[in-house]
Amino acid sequence: MAIDLKAIEQLATDQSSLKAAAGLAKPAKWSGVGVSYDGALVWGECAGSGANPYRVMADLRDLGNKCTCPSRKFPCKHVLGLLWLKAEAVVPFAPADTPAWVSDWLGRRRAGAGTSKAPPSVAPSAAKDLRAARQTEPEVVEDPKDAARREAAAAKRSEDTERAILDALDALEQWIGDQLRMGLSAFVDDVTARCRRIAARLVDGKAAVLAGRIDELPGRLLALPPGDRPRGAVVELGKLVLLARAFRTTPRDAEIRRAVAASETREAVLTNPQTLRVNARWEVLAEQVQTRRDGLVSQTTWLLSLNNDGPRFAMLLDFFPASVGRRGSVFTPGERFQGELAFYPSRQPLRALLVAREAVEDATSPEWPTPEMVLADTLTSPLLAEPWTIEIPVLLPAGRIALDDAGHPWWRSADGASTLPVAGSAEGLLCGTDLKRTAAIWSGNRLTILAAQTSWGRVSGHG
Amino acid sequence: MAEAIYDAMGSVLTRWTMGSAAAPAAAVWSAELGAEPAEAELRLLALSGQFLGVAVTAEPPELRVLPDIPALALPTVPEALRPLVHRILNAFKETQRKTELLDFLAARGWTTHPAEWMPTANDEDAPDVYAPWRDWAGIAASNCVVRRQAGDRLTADNWEDFWPAARKVALTELRRRDPEVARAVLEAKLASENADVRLPLLSLLATGLSEADIPFLEGIAANDRAPKVKALAASLLARLSRGPTVGEDIAELAGFFSVKMKGLLRRSRVIQFENVKTPAQMHRRAALLESADIASLARALMLTPQELVDAWNWDVDRQADAALVGLVARTGTDSLVAQTAEAASQCNASAFLATLTPRLVPGQRSELAEKVLRTRGFSFDVAKTIAGGTARLENPMTAPAGTALLAALRRDDAKPSDELTELFALGLIASRAAARQALERLNGAGLLQGDPRLDMLRLNAALDDNGAEP
Repeated sequence: MAIDLKAIEQLATDQSSLKAAAGLAKPAKWSGVGVSYDGALVWGECAGSGANPYRVMADLRDLGNKCTCPSRKFPCKHVLGLLWLKAEAVVPFAPADTPAWVSDWLGRRRAGAGTSKAPPSVAPSAAKDLRAARQTEPEVVEDPKDAARREAAAAKRSEDTERAILDALDALEQWIGDQLRMGLSAFVDDVTARCRRIAARLVDGKAAVLAGRIDELPGRLLALPPGDRPRGAVVELGKLVLLARAFRTTPRDAEIRRAVAASETREAVLTNPQTLRVNARWEVLAEQVQTRRDGLVSQTTWLLSLNNDGPRFAMLLDFFPASVGRRGSVFTPGERFQGELAFYPSRQPLRALLVAREAVEDATSPEWPTPEMVLADTLTSPLLAEPWTIEIPVLLPAGRIALDDAGHPWWRSADGASTLPVAGSAEGLLCGTDLKRTAAIWSGNRLTILAAQTSWGRVSGHG
Repeated sequence: MAEAIYDAMGSVLTRWTMGSAAAPAAAVWSAELGAEPAEAELRLLALSGQFLGVAVTAEPPELRVLPDIPALALPTVPEALRPLVHRILNAFKETQRKTELLDFLAARGWTTHPAEWMPTANDEDAPDVYAPWRDWAGIAASNCVVRRQAGDRLTADNWEDFWPAARKVALTELRRRDPEVARAVLEAKLASENADVRLPLLSLLATGLSEADIPFLEGIAANDRAPKVKALAASLLARLSRGPTVGEDIAELAGFFSVKMKGLLRRSRVIQFENVKTPAQMHRRAALLESADIASLARALMLTPQELVDAWNWDVDRQADAALVGLVARTGTDSLVAQTAEAASQCNASAFLATLTPRLVPGQRSELAEKVLRTRGFSFDVAKTIAGGTARLENPMTAPAGTALLAALRRDDAKPSDELTELFALGLIASRAAARQALERLNGAGLLQGDPRLDMLRLNAALDDNGAEP
């Protein structure tokens, strides 16, 4: 089935989409491009501004399409870019079995969704011009005085932001002191409202990431058994004090700033010479999707390097507004691929961006790496570098799930030396077989199991 | 040092919980906390938080480790097909469709991977091959620490050593091999089980049912505490032509029917329905049919059960058709069930076939399904209801249902979700070769290769057929 550029022009909602699509119609932006054997479906993965590439798919019969990006435009620039690649044969579209994510979409889509007819509200197609979209903007030579003025303004803005954050952190410490004075028992009882108030103050003070963390604090605290909550509150609030003090000491430290104010842009991470780049075979351990109180949905993908150089985890983190609706998963747990990751500069590199992904590989070999440290060290050593860390990914040695009197699960090492409480419930295969290796998140008092290797093969955990 | 901190933590936590200053209670850190009270509290909070964050919760004294999930007699589906099985299982909410898929897999010689699907202890509909997993689920849900060891052969003495699902499978096998011994085991142990267990165990006597079972069944029918168990024993007795003696009820029931002759040259009997003009009469007839047995009714009409089914006037009175089918399924012999299924399949009463098919062997079910597809032009979904998950029909696409399916998919207003039920049914009842051919035909008709409606056909086409012939 063929598609021509005229159809793409008609499909685009506006000239800016077309322009953006022209920028994406380049081989370097795409990976995993394919077409079904019958030529009707095309798909590909396009690097966007988030940690993960977007999965883009289209049905050439009626130009129905779908992309995992959070854009409100339909079709988005990625879909147009994919169609553009196909129309102009910019990259070869290898015939292949339809990936599961494309089949899943096919099962859900309604006929005619995204047909070639342009929506009535948009401007007539004459207002969109492919030739104009292809043209590159001439580079504007900037006046040195303007540049200096702009830099000065940026420096002033940065200073103001820092001042605002420091003020907000003062308010935070004041607030923490108040909670102790009024009693943690009352704090636990009224945790949601109290955290909401200080989080709002932190947002005003430009400490948005810290505000998000405090917004999620009640959820973490209330997930604990009631008897554990005062202890949990001490741990959570104690970490906030440490983070506030760390910011005051080194406000320009990128890592601490990331935990308090905002993350660097994708471009800043990729161009930073200190960025650690790792090209390895990765296994997707699990994907966690959570709707946050601030109206954002966080999509966390946990990866484990299969290279034989000790356990290395990576966390791909994307946010998008909950109002955009459900977003398709980018990865399938258990999937393996060769790919390059760029880690945000850090004392304990964990958060990363996916720079390039190659074809999916079979999931049978090799084994996960060997846990290298004494378990107690694995659980605590990251806290020496970042004492405010909430989640520590760990690769546990051979073990097994056991149940206490109340039916709550515990992970116990095969040698019986370590026993850790597991969050939530564990059932089925997870507690009916030996776990050769277990990848999990340790949050100080509970283990969230991501996946495990067993004699039955790979088992998903809480996901 | 750590012990001193542990000691201090108790009172620090208590003080903070109540809302009083805790720094004075943490003498061990007094140098680090400093003299300024508000600052000391915050410093103590940071230190305590770190300490408590790494102090792992104490292990409870008793931890119970569940036994290993046992390997089943059949292998789990190949790794590459697990996502497909997973998607099909998730696509349907109905238990019946899941059961059909499990039957299909078992008939092909495969089981699900436990990460995809595992039965619960009460999943009576799961194929027998899953009995060890059902028992494992029973152990997981109970407080038993040690798994009991089951012997090879079930006897009255080792009855308690078997977990319920394995026991049922062992008893089924024993009944097939040695009906007398199986009955003797049941005679010794049935009374000690509760009614929910007695009912399925007693139903196992349907296999190899013979005159020798009569005294035992009569005892149950007369003395069991549970009405359902009594009714089952009575229906098994009826299959052995030991229904209740012809009494007033049967005579009254017979009054709702009359046997007439029809045809000029080849005279044959036909049943006519009488006295069904008012709802009260209909209700009375239905109530009487509920408690009757086919042999007694036939006797009251001066016919044999076979003659009664032969003379039945199908498609005239739907309620009567349904009641007859139910009556035969409950109280007819195996051959009468087959005869009734054959007769019902020739008319619109095929809708009631599902009542009879559980009493047919897989081969009979497949033949019947093939017949209704070819001769009656029924849908694949009805054929699937008749055949269950174990049919391996060749060339189903050449049946009228295949032509209808292709026409429906080619319609201009066809939607991507259309014909989901038919495509699933086709995928379930086709042989492997037929599934491959059907995929080609459907792709030729415009269905995409990646279309999830084809998942069942794709699984069928990809799955090695190692199982026994139906």
